[in-house]
Formats: sequence, structure tokens, C-alpha cells
Amino acid sequence: MEAFNNLMFGFGIALEPMNIAYVFGGVFAGTIIGMLPGLGPISALALMIPVTFAMEPSSGLILMAGVYYGAIFGGSSSSILLNAPGVAGTVATSFDGYPMAKQGMAGKALAIAAYASFIGGTISIVFLMMVAPLLSRVAVAFGPTEYFALMVLGLTAVVSLSDKSLVKGLIAAVVGVMISIIGIDLQTGTVRFAFGTTHLLDGIDFLVVALGIFALAEVFYILLRGGGGKEQPRNAIGSLKLTRKEAGEIAGPIGRSSVLGFFTGVLPGAGATIGSFLGYSMEKRIAKDGDTFGKGNIKGVAAPEAANNAACTGSFVPLLTLGVPGSGTTAVLLGALLVMGITPGPAMLADRPDVFWGVIASMYIGNIMLLVLNLPLIPYIAKILEMPRPLLLSLILIFCMVGVYGMSFSVIDLLFLLGFGLLGLGMRLFGFPAAPLILALILGDIMEESMRRALQISGGDWMVFIDKPISMWLLIIASLSLILPVVKPLLQKLRARG
Amino acid sequence: MFAKPHLVRLTAIALPLAAAAGMSTTAQADDWAPTRSIEFIAPANPGGGWDTLVRTTSRVIQEEGLAERNFAAINVPGGGGAVAWAQIARDSGNPHKLFATSPPIILVPLAGASRYDHTDFTPVARLITDYSILLVRDDSDYADIDDLVEALRERPNLSVGGGSAPGSMDHISIAGFASAAGLDAAAVNYIPFSGGGEAMTNLMGGHVEAVITGAGEASGQLGEGSELRALGVSSPERLGGVLADIPTYQEQGIDYTFDIWRGVMGAPDMPAEAVAYYEDLFAQMLETDGWQQARDQLGWLDAYQNSEEFGAFLDEQKELFSEVLTELGLIGQ
Repeated sequence: MEAFNNLMFGFGIALEPMNIAYVFGGVFAGTIIGMLPGLGPISALALMIPVTFAMEPSSGLILMAGVYYGAIFGGSSSSILLNAPGVAGTVATSFDGYPMAKQGMAGKALAIAAYASFIGGTISIVFLMMVAPLLSRVAVAFGPTEYFALMVLGLTAVVSLSDKSLVKGLIAAVVGVMISIIGIDLQTGTVRFAFGTTHLLDGIDFLVVALGIFALAEVFYILLRGGGGKEQPRNAIGSLKLTRKEAGEIAGPIGRSSVLGFFTGVLPGAGATIGSFLGYSMEKRIAKDGDTFGKGNIKGVAAPEAANNAACTGSFVPLLTLGVPGSGTTAVLLGALLVMGITPGPAMLADRPDVFWGVIASMYIGNIMLLVLNLPLIPYIAKILEMPRPLLLSLILIFCMVGVYGMSFSVIDLLFLLGFGLLGLGMRLFGFPAAPLILALILGDIMEESMRRALQISGGDWMVFIDKPISMWLLIIASLSLILPVVKPLLQKLRARG
Repeated sequence: MFAKPHLVRLTAIALPLAAAAGMSTTAQADDWAPTRSIEFIAPANPGGGWDTLVRTTSRVIQEEGLAERNFAAINVPGGGGAVAWAQIARDSGNPHKLFATSPPIILVPLAGASRYDHTDFTPVARLITDYSILLVRDDSDYADIDDLVEALRERPNLSVGGGSAPGSMDHISIAGFASAAGLDAAAVNYIPFSGGGEAMTNLMGGHVEAVITGAGEASGQLGEGSELRALGVSSPERLGGVLADIPTYQEQGIDYTFDIWRGVMGAPDMPAEAVAYYEDLFAQMLETDGWQQARDQLGWLDAYQNSEEFGAFLDEQKELFSEVLTELGLIGQ
């Protein structure tokens, strides 16, 4: 009941005309920022700090939060249409979204992404509202050992992401971990694999690799097969409507991934990207038709989209209840709040309930706006596919290059983009899956750091990973998910014989 | 260009203001003014200390109408600053290029991760300072600094988390502290996290036993209902606000202070008249209401030094840091 009263109080703030305008402006700007690869929510929010400074803090946060979740919402479009993730959190969406678009079902893929984002966003706001203060305990309970175990569990998804050959999937994953090692090692300050240049000191940005290995490699692959000159068949968008059966099929994945995504988002450092990968691989393992994942399965679009939006909301838990940013984007939000004179943290709920409840209420409104805004736009956005192939391919190229250059203003990164495009092409030609590489690249960093940190604290004692209950259970689940796929067929065989 | 009447008028107003602020104005100050936008570089991603400094100062300068040209905030992230420094070092003599700076300009080169150090750039002004703070969990057995020092003496592997890599600010701060308390600085089990916030959540969760971080960053975590307790601050005198009750190290018998200063530097060999212009500009800025409001909100303390003083201060800091790093075995002999 108390939560209800608080929420009504929040709606009182969020429904002020100016704040409605801010929500709308935020989610609209966010959608567009999300669609453009490279232009992510971090830089957009940093640019907005001077604008929000003079605002009422609740309005400022409502606007900036809108840009953030709007970007995650909008990021799926370029993943689906161009195989070029708009923001890091939507990489997994392209695994099935892009094949759907190629099969003439772009409209449906975009519609599913919009529904899943909306539901994932809304479910997670309910969680945020009901249990945020409790959940801050969850965030705090995760130390280095627990993070290590979680990352190990995440990495077991390599098995389900390498569709044909497990060996090739593992090789790709190892390459991903190797790329994640490049740069200054936080644990010792040692520079690793930078070959004496300052450009590699911070490693290679995840989006450079993702855009190269997915979008650019796809362009090269089409060119190589001589598809560059052909006219794209007309009416490539297809219907937006879902059948009752399809809606039933995606309901489960959306529900599960929303919960999983939210909890991933609550953990500082994990966030939307890891959440969407976990949601995707979980559904692939659960699904009876798991082998069609990666070939245009609607569940493969629904799961990561629900998860990444839920994770985005989840990342507000450590920010608002602990005053600790869990990601680059929330770090900028924290900075903006400080400049506006608000110190997020344990005392904020009591001192400034208007900011806390106002932004939560505004998220409900923002998510509805996003759905209403995005659905009618789908046919127009998807029109991009009706462009002649040569134009479309050049557009993807320009998109990727501008996106990468816009992140770092570094020409060297463009060369890396090209290099990863060629690597991605080679991987496709020789049947190496790209997803395990990306997954390992995302997880490798945190996994290594957490492991060494945990061992440093324990004085080199490896038993810490088993002594702590959370990490023990995570490691048990990880082992099971590796053993079960091997044991299951054996058991079935035995049963068939007996 | 300089003869344009409105420019002359602006400088004519600016000068008495600077004089009123009690700043020494060099003779050349009115001879130079920026002729285009000033690139004000934060050598890091948005959200961090340098970025906040750059954006806050740019905004105050613009809102208070202190400069006739725009200060454009630019992020050049990478290598803890090294990427930006390498870029700026190539722009010798450019009077329109400034960057935010703090101890890493000394520490990163000492660690061997940058070819350029503070001597390659032109000091403009030191602006603010923050101090280190030592935190434990609220239910910890350590009631004061002495308890922690005793515990560290008996159990050198006691884990102390910090928000930066080994050999950088937080590590230097705790190592210097240990040394002043008569402990072996190199034996401190310093656990680096990727930010003060992450270090503090790990302290709340009991994953580490103590944390060293910036007092400004920690102030949001202290006060009513907090799960953390501060044992001491590295300032020479007590701080204000929620930090007012926290005794300094010196009060508790450990003769040690540590500053986390921040300031502004410019491209190598910046012309003296440009340096004088910026020195005055920042000195004026510190006197404005807009700055004082923003500064208090961010938990910063004014610590102005002009170009010359700042340059000398940087040299002293380098000496000090080299000593600590040598003791830690982090500098190749």
C-alpha cells in the first residue's frame, strides 16, 4: 500500500506538463541516439549535463533517464535491419533479428523487439519500485568471488552459442578473451599487448569489434558472393502483426528474460549487454526448437530485448539506493545529479522522495510513449531495406565508420574496424561462430579482474570460490550446464535400450 | 583583431575585477585574449573527476560571462590520460588548448605508462583539492585509526580496497599513510577496484576490510543510516559538512597529509601572456557565486595557485610520489 501511495506521489510529479514534455523529449532523443551506432547514451548524457543543471533535479533525472532507456529501446532497430548494433546492449538482438529481416520479416522482428522492450521495461519498473531498497543488498552481496562465478556461468553460454562445431566456438571464445586482455591491467598497472602505442592502452572498444565482426563482415560477405548489384526484392518488410500462436510463444521468454535482465542490471558492472546475452542463451537452452536460434527465431529477438531493457532499469537500483554507478552511463547520471545538488544514496529516498518516485513514475509513462512512438514508425524505419543493395551496403559502411570515429575520434580505430570486418568475414567463410567471441570479449575482462582480486584478498587461497555460498551455487549451475548436454543424450540412449 | 572595441571594453572590465579579487595581474594580461574557442580537454571518459572539473568550470565561465570565447569541453579518453597528453604534447605553443589535471599527470609517467609528464606542459592554475578518507564498515571492530594501524601491523594481508590501479592515487595515499604510521608500505594488501564507488560497495558487502578513497566521493555514503564509518581524513584540518566529525590523521597522532589536487594545464610552451590571461580568468571564476555553489555541491575545496606556484608545487609532488613509489618497489631502479 505504501508503495502505491508513493507511486501516486511520483505520478503527481511525473504528470506535471513540463515533466511530460521532458519524458517525451528524452525518449524521443534516446530512440534516435540508440538507432545510430557509435552515438551511445553516455556521450549524449554528458552533453546534456549543462542543460539539466538549471532544472529541477527530478525533471533533470526524468529527462536523462528517458534518453538512457530510450536508447536501449531504439538500439534494436539497427541491430535487426543492418546487423549493426546501435548500442552495446543490443548486440544479441541481431543474432535472430537480422536473419528475420533477411527472410522478409523485418516488420515482425521490429514489432517483437518493441513489445519485448516495453514489457521488459515495465516489469522491471515494478521490481524497481517494490524491492529497490532490498535489492541493494543483492548488489552489495556480490564481491569479486561472486562476480567471477557469475562470469564463468555466463561463459558456459559459449556451448549454446556455437551452433555447429563446439571446437570452433571455443576457439572464437579464446580469441575474444585474448582481445579483452589488451591494455592496462588494473591489477598491476602493467601494459599488455599494446605494442608500445598509446592507442591500445585502454584496449579495444567492444563496439568496434561488434560492428566489424557483424555489420562490416556481413557487407564483405554479400559483396564476395556477388550480391552487391542485385535489386532487393520488393515488400521486404512483411507484416507487423503477430499471430496468437507467436504471441504465446514469446510470452515465456519475455517474462523470464525480464526478471533475469533486471537482476543482471542490479549488479554493478554487469548491465544490459551481459543481461541480453544471458537472456538469449538461457532461452536457447530451454527452447525445444533451440537449434533454430540464430536463424530467425522470434524468441531469439524477444529474449534479449526484454532483458536489455529490464537491465537498464535494474541499473538504477545501485545508482539510486547506494549512490554507486554500475555502468558508464549511470556514472554520468551520478555526476549530473551531483551537479544538480542531489546526492544519490541511502539518504536520498528519505531526503528527496520527489526525485526517486518521480523518475520511477516517469519510466512507466516513458515506456508507453516509446511503444506508441516506435510501433507506427516501424514501416518507415524498415523502408531502409527497400533501398537498392549498393546504396544499402554503402550506408552500412558509412554508419559503422562514423559510429566508430564518433566514439574515439581516432583513425586507428577505423583500421581496427576494418581488421575486425576481415576477421569476421574469415570466420564466416570457415564456419566459426561470431557470438562466442563477442560474449568472451564482454565477460573476459570482468572475469579475469574478479578472479585476481578475489585471490589477492584471500591471499592466494582458491577455496574462496567454493567457501562463499553464492559463488559456489553459481559454479555448480555452471558445471551442470556444461555436463547436462553431454549426459542427457547418454541417459536417453540408456533408457531407450533398457 | 585585438583592436575590436568590444574586446577592449571586456578586458577593461575584467581587469578591475581581477584586482578586486586580490590577484597579481601581470603586465601582459591585457595584451592577449583568445581569438577562437578554447579546447578544454578532459583526458578521460565522461563522468569522472577530470570530466566534472572541465564541464563545471566551462559552464561557470560561460554563465558568468567571464570569457569572450567559448570553452568547449572535449573528452579524450585513454590510458589514464596518456592518450590525451600525447595529443596535446604535439600542439606546442597553442594558446587555445587547456586540459584538466591531477596527480596522474605525475603518477602515470612514473609508472612508465606515458612518455610525457608534467614538465612537458604549461602549468596554468591549481584550482581545487580533495582529501583521502579511510573507511571501514559500521560494525567493524576498528574504532579509530590506531586500531586499524595495530591490525595492519599484526596482519599485513588485511585487505584495503581503493578506487584506482596500484601505484596511482589511492594506493600512494594509503602507502604514504602506512609509512608515516611506522608500517611497511610495500606490505599493505591494496586491492584495486575500477572506482571509489565499486570499492565502497565491496566494503559494504564485507568483501574487503577497509577502503581508501576521495572524501568528496565518500561524503554521499556517510551520515544518517550509513553502513560505513570513516576513521580519518588526510587533510591538515577538519573538513566541513557531513565530514565535520571525522578526525584528521594528524589529530590521531599520525603526521601525514595527502592532497588530491586538481588544476588546469596548457599545451607545451604556451605564450606567457596567454598563461597570464587564463590565470586571471580562473582566479576570477573562483570568486563567482556560480562556482561557489557548484563547488560546495561537489564537495570540492578551493586551492588556487597561479602558474608559477603550481609549477613549483608539481615538482614537489613529483619528489614525494617518487619516494613513495620507490618504497613500494613500483619504480624500476
